[in-house]
Amino acid sequence: MMKNAIKLLLVSLVLTGISPANAQGLLKKIKQKAEQAAERVADKKIDKAIEDKTGVSSGNQNAGGPGSSGGSSGKNSPGNKGGAGLVTTPPDVNANLGDAEAAFKANNYGEARYAVQQAMLGVEMEIGKKILAGLPETVSGLKTIKEEDKVTSTGWGWVGLTIQRKYGEGDKQLTTTIANNSVWMSAVNMYLANGGYAQTSSDNQKWKQTKVKGNKAIIEYDEGSGYKLTVPIGQTSLIIWEGVNFATEQDIMSAANSFDIDGVKKTLGEK
Amino acid sequence: MRKIFLIVLTAILPASVMAQNFNKHLATAKSSYSAGKLEDSRFAMEQMMQELDITIGKEVLKLLPAKLDNLNMNAAADNVTGTNGFLGVNIHRDYGTAEKKAEIDMITNSPLVASINTILSIPFVGNSADGNQKRVKIDGYKGLLQKNVDSETQKPSYELQMPFNSTLLTFRMGNADEAEVLKMAALIPIAEIAKMLQ
Repeated sequence: MMKNAIKLLLVSLVLTGISPANAQGLLKKIKQKAEQAAERVADKKIDKAIEDKTGVSSGNQNAGGPGSSGGSSGKNSPGNKGGAGLVTTPPDVNANLGDAEAAFKANNYGEARYAVQQAMLGVEMEIGKKILAGLPETVSGLKTIKEEDKVTSTGWGWVGLTIQRKYGEGDKQLTTTIANNSVWMSAVNMYLANGGYAQTSSDNQKWKQTKVKGNKAIIEYDEGSGYKLTVPIGQTSLIIWEGVNFATEQDIMSAANSFDIDGVKKTLGEK
Repeated sequence: MRKIFLIVLTAILPASVMAQNFNKHLATAKSSYSAGKLEDSRFAMEQMMQELDITIGKEVLKLLPAKLDNLNMNAAADNVTGTNGFLGVNIHRDYGTAEKKAEIDMITNSPLVASINTILSIPFVGNSADGNQKRVKIDGYKGLLQKNVDSETQKPSYELQMPFNSTLLTFRMGNADEAEVLKMAALIPIAEIAKMLQ
């Protein structure tokens, strides 16, 4: 079929007055193109056969990687170029408490529960923001990275409330996490209460007990992630400082000492 | 006459105490919030949540039949325990005698729901080759039925686990065959319970 088409083309070229030499060059090009096209079709068929058998897409089509716009999946689905995102207004506490009251009166307990949960979410977000406002702006020369300020609440009691602030300057970074109603509490208290985990005198000491402003604490060091200082406060809360590229143990301890632990404790209603 | 009055009173009293507690915590939550005592307000809300969980649990118990086929309920064993936040509430009822007993347990906000759902969504995993575990459907809800044989008495017992929303319902029955277990399980008003626990 391909041969017939080429012959026909050659005849028509001769008839229209193109010299045989030119025609031969053209013919060669057409032949090349035809061969390339045939190869591509064969490749695609082989790829499809492999895909059907193994369920794994062959690399040929996705040579550009997942981020490339020419990937097979991206053909008809445009990438999102940006939007305003979600509105992060916390739920209105008073309105939700009102809803809970009305639903409870109407014996609509499921709805009442949902409303209380939303109210809790709202109040936890406010607690979180209050705590963030009370944290220092700079710590050991590191500035607050404002856009990394984070308050996470599940309104659920289980994971509870997590407040995070990051400080940084160059490659030195301090992450402060305050967790309330945390499930980690029991694990940390176990460390502190159990003498069996007492420090060793070997060279590769990875963690030990210490104190921050009179509060019992655990300090850990890892070659990959740096220093980590954990302080349980009150019954259900803890503060964790993670320091990357802090030179010494003393360095991270003095950073932690610049925080108002009692203030955090008070805001969280801890004794 | 006095007896009837007493019975009515004992039936109404717990509900009204519950409502009183809820309203008391609600008032505390509101006033603490207005006064800027956020942590106190939050604690009051946690209390409200617990009251609600227990109220919901008691409502669910009302939905369960008093008799499961020929097995009578054991009213004294009815139990609703509210844990704070994490597991929601545990609801328990059992039927029959030690010889032949059926038990219903429900855990709301159960972390086990996800794992059971995974098993239910993969047919290959859900049905074991020895026939001791299989997927069943009751009242439109999928469940996982497991059979255990007592090594001493050789009597089989069954456990049916059904997740809905974030609740896990477990129905256990001893000394019965599969058909009987499924027949009994079909008497549980799952759709109504699911609506209540949503």
